[in-house]
Amino acid sequence: MTENPPLPEPITTTAPAARTHGLTKIYGEGDTRVTALDSVDIELGAGKFTAIMGPSGSGKSTLMHCTAGLDKATSGEVFIGDVDLSKLNDKGLTKLRRESVGFVFQSFNLVPTLNARENITLPMDIAGRKVDTEWFDTVVDTIGLRDRLTHKPAELSGGQQQRVACARALASRPAIVFADEPTGNLDSRSSAEVLGFLRRSVDEFGQTIVMVTHDPSAAAYADRVVFLADGHVVDELLDPTADSVLDRMKRFELQTAAAAQQTNSEPPSAQAGA
Amino acid sequence: MLKATLRGLLAHRLRLGLTGFAILLAVAFVSGTYIFTDSLHQALNNLTNSQQPDVVVSAKTQFGTQFNDELAPPTLNSSVVTTVSKVPGVADAVGWIQIRNVTMLGPDGKPLGSNQGPGSSGQGQSWISNPALAVNTLDSGQAPSNSSQVAIDTTAAKNGDFKIGQQVSIVLPSGQTVRPTITALVNRGLSGGGGGGASSLAVWDPATAAQLLLKPNEFTQIRVQAQPGVSQQTLADAIKKVVPPGTQVQTGQEITDNTAANLSSRLDFLNTFLLVFALISLFVAAFLIYNTFSMLVAQRTRELALLRAIGATRRQVTRTVLIEALVVALIATTVGILAGMGVALGLRGLFNLFGAPLPGNGLVVIPRTFLFSYLIGVVVTLVSAWIPARRAATVPPVAALRDDVSIPTRSLRIRTLFGALLIGGAIGLAYNGLRSTGDATNAATLIGISALCALIGVLALAPILARGILMVLALPFAWTSVGRLARENGRRNPRRTAATAGALMIGLTLMSLLSVVAASTTKSTDAVVNDVIGADFIVTGQNFRPMPHAVFDAVKNTPGTSVTTYSRATPALVPGGGDEGQLVTGVDPTQINQVINLDFIQGSLSDLTDGSVVLDTKTAEANGIGVGTRVLLLSQKGVVELKVVGLYAPAGFFTGYVTNLAQIEQMGALPLDLAVYIKAAPGADVSAVRTTLDNELKPFPTAQIQDQTQFKQQIHDQISRLLVFILALLVLAVIIAVLGIVNTLALSVFERTREIGLLRAIGTTRKQVRRMVFVEALLMAVFGAAVGMILGVTYGILLQRSLIPEGITELGINVGQLVLFLVLAAVGGIIAAVWPAWRASRMDVLKAISTD
Repeated sequence: MTENPPLPEPITTTAPAARTHGLTKIYGEGDTRVTALDSVDIELGAGKFTAIMGPSGSGKSTLMHCTAGLDKATSGEVFIGDVDLSKLNDKGLTKLRRESVGFVFQSFNLVPTLNARENITLPMDIAGRKVDTEWFDTVVDTIGLRDRLTHKPAELSGGQQQRVACARALASRPAIVFADEPTGNLDSRSSAEVLGFLRRSVDEFGQTIVMVTHDPSAAAYADRVVFLADGHVVDELLDPTADSVLDRMKRFELQTAAAAQQTNSEPPSAQAGA
Repeated sequence: MLKATLRGLLAHRLRLGLTGFAILLAVAFVSGTYIFTDSLHQALNNLTNSQQPDVVVSAKTQFGTQFNDELAPPTLNSSVVTTVSKVPGVADAVGWIQIRNVTMLGPDGKPLGSNQGPGSSGQGQSWISNPALAVNTLDSGQAPSNSSQVAIDTTAAKNGDFKIGQQVSIVLPSGQTVRPTITALVNRGLSGGGGGGASSLAVWDPATAAQLLLKPNEFTQIRVQAQPGVSQQTLADAIKKVVPPGTQVQTGQEITDNTAANLSSRLDFLNTFLLVFALISLFVAAFLIYNTFSMLVAQRTRELALLRAIGATRRQVTRTVLIEALVVALIATTVGILAGMGVALGLRGLFNLFGAPLPGNGLVVIPRTFLFSYLIGVVVTLVSAWIPARRAATVPPVAALRDDVSIPTRSLRIRTLFGALLIGGAIGLAYNGLRSTGDATNAATLIGISALCALIGVLALAPILARGILMVLALPFAWTSVGRLARENGRRNPRRTAATAGALMIGLTLMSLLSVVAASTTKSTDAVVNDVIGADFIVTGQNFRPMPHAVFDAVKNTPGTSVTTYSRATPALVPGGGDEGQLVTGVDPTQINQVINLDFIQGSLSDLTDGSVVLDTKTAEANGIGVGTRVLLLSQKGVVELKVVGLYAPAGFFTGYVTNLAQIEQMGALPLDLAVYIKAAPGADVSAVRTTLDNELKPFPTAQIQDQTQFKQQIHDQISRLLVFILALLVLAVIIAVLGIVNTLALSVFERTREIGLLRAIGTTRKQVRRMVFVEALLMAVFGAAVGMILGVTYGILLQRSLIPEGITELGINVGQLVLFLVLAAVGGIIAAVWPAWRASRMDVLKAISTD
């Protein structure tokens, strides 16, 4: 591990929308024990579009789940705004998700029995809140699906479905939106539409977005890319381009390959910590 | 392949368990019915076999035994006993007395037992000391030996809290009350069990019994014991030669055979009656099995496609599903037969609860029960699983490779067409049924077939109905997003919703149909009572048995009354009255029309004189009788010829031949009254009159006085008892239907893992998820119940219309009862949702939304 470069200081321009301190997540026990996150400290800037990247098993999804209140940390602290997530029970976490968090998932993102409009307003409906019509109109016009609002998900293309999912995530004006591989199931043109929309929501509405992805060209839409490997934050990049992200990833792969070679020659017990 | 099947079984053990439970319940009902009737049969056979002497000589009339209380009991005198005992081969011959309408009074001075009609009337008997000829055996104490002693049966002693040494009041058919001391408790034997549950048994020594119940040296029967080596038949033939004409001689074996045949036909009826309900449960269970296997197949599309992709033939895939069904059926049927024993005990308890105690304790399970249960359990399951199994085989192998596949659902068009055709047929049949007036049986049969067509038609159309009806039913919930989600879940797979609700639909159709028929019957009898009975009070005997004329004498001059009159009856063979005879009523024509308002189409009651008769139009038409026709009646005093002077419209239970009191006396009527009708004088204080009448009737504990309200109430009670009894039998079908809802919801929750995970992720609370499942269950249950109820009420109305000629003239709908059914169905739905809702709310959000 000593081969890893020293962590750069976190760079934030404003107060963070969410942050973690010593966030550790361990799955299983004994032989099956896996450390998914190992004391991660990260700040997610408000009004910024942050991408989290890393190879499979790097812990990027776990980081998102823990930060979004979908999963409980083994130790460490997670804050969304001023709220300490470790102090909340299921009810509190549900309320937090309902009021402060928006989600976009890779697939199965919409309720098939509801039409696009109902899907978008679903979080507010569930919370029993009134829909802010002005904001709703703004969001709908931004995703450009006004004429599709009465369609059921099955009548929409994959890209359209995902744009509806984005609109749903934004419609309740959450403090932070988490997107888990939002373009994973989309072709490049639809991906560009969805990512462009996310970008615009940050630029035009000051929305905070955290996106997990493994696609460098998707990460290029972000303000900042955080690289994760083996449960650690290993690097980060500001104002990325697809090329600079790809560059950085290649460097990791070389490092990881080297590290793997080294760990393979060590006794198995050392692997757990890697 | 077999391995894959067994793995499949283990993986789906929960849902298969629910299916198995449905099969189990249905099989339990079927096997329980058989075990129950077989056990009863054996118990009754044991009873009959153990108690018959070699030969029985009895006095007999040409009328059915149901009229024995209206007749002077046919007797044999002691000279016949002497004659019989001298016949070679006779070891012993004993005269025996058995008389009904002997009422034992409880400590409160009221008759023991319920007031339910002739069958439950108490009996008086004489004691037989020869154990080979005895009817009863001593349970404790000493046999009665003089006129101040009596033995009573152990059950009556228990009901009346009597002990040996205490005195007991017994009212004789003549109205006289005796008060002997109890010296023994006896086992009821056949007189209690086979007789349909006499409320009490009083046994005197032979001389006292003859004196109290008949005349000295008279008997109703002679029981004969053969000498060793003499066959029953030989002895009976010898006895036949010496007894007077009109005397019946039967061997013990004949009686046993007759009783057994009689019991068999009655038990067959009972068995068929119960099996109908068992089959309803089975039908509902078949629905559930079909539904479960459809869902299991749908859920395993990919797995089955994989099997196909790696080379399994269609047949192998079908077989996989069928073997699964077979294993479940075998296990469930085996347990079901065991549970059937419990059902048999439950049925016995049910009969006890509804006032028909049955003998016997053991349970009889014969091979036929096993055979039937396995046949039914396995065949029904396999047939129900066959269609989904066939469909499973149509999954294309490529489906295994795609992400979201489902079995192609066939269009609803054929189903709709089929349903529409059936409904059309049902309407046609119902129309014809309603038009075939006059023949109520034919009409009711047509309506019945129509109902069956309509039920199957509605079940076929249910998926289409479900979409629309759920929209309406969900209106109270539609203002919340949770409610809308629940509604759309129900509408998403209308086939499944329809099949699930269908089970409940069947149960509720039958329940509401019965409710309407019962309410209509009640209302119709009320109408008859209101229209026909002009009397303010009616006095009848215990169990509606004839009562002594002294009752009439006691009330006839009560102040505040304007009319007091009585009716008598005697059996006679009459045109249209069957070969066992029918009661002919005798009334005072000048008085009776003030208390009974019969609607005379021709002539009137006042035309009645000696030698004339009036009768209802229905009997008249059926037998080609009109005013002026002379009819021949065979009474116990011989043939009489009467002239028909009037025809009246039948009104409920007021039907048949009516003549005047002098004529009925000539036909052999005893000086016992069937009913006394009393009308209060205009302006009299009716409640004061009632008090006076109550006082005057105190010396006659067997006389029951009722005003119109009480009279109606008594009929209502009888109808509602029957209704509750039948509803209790339908409950099992409803329980199976509720299990079906559990099954469907559990699967629907499982299928929507992702969706529920998503809902949870975007802020739906556990409570809201639970509520969503509850609302879905509620909608399904209410949909099934409401449609079933509409169907049931519709056919209840049609049935009532077709039964107008049978006297069900009024339509009654007990709205409260129907609402109760609906509420119970809703509650059943909610109970069914408890477990699936819990599972849905506990779903791991992360697992649900993870993308792999």
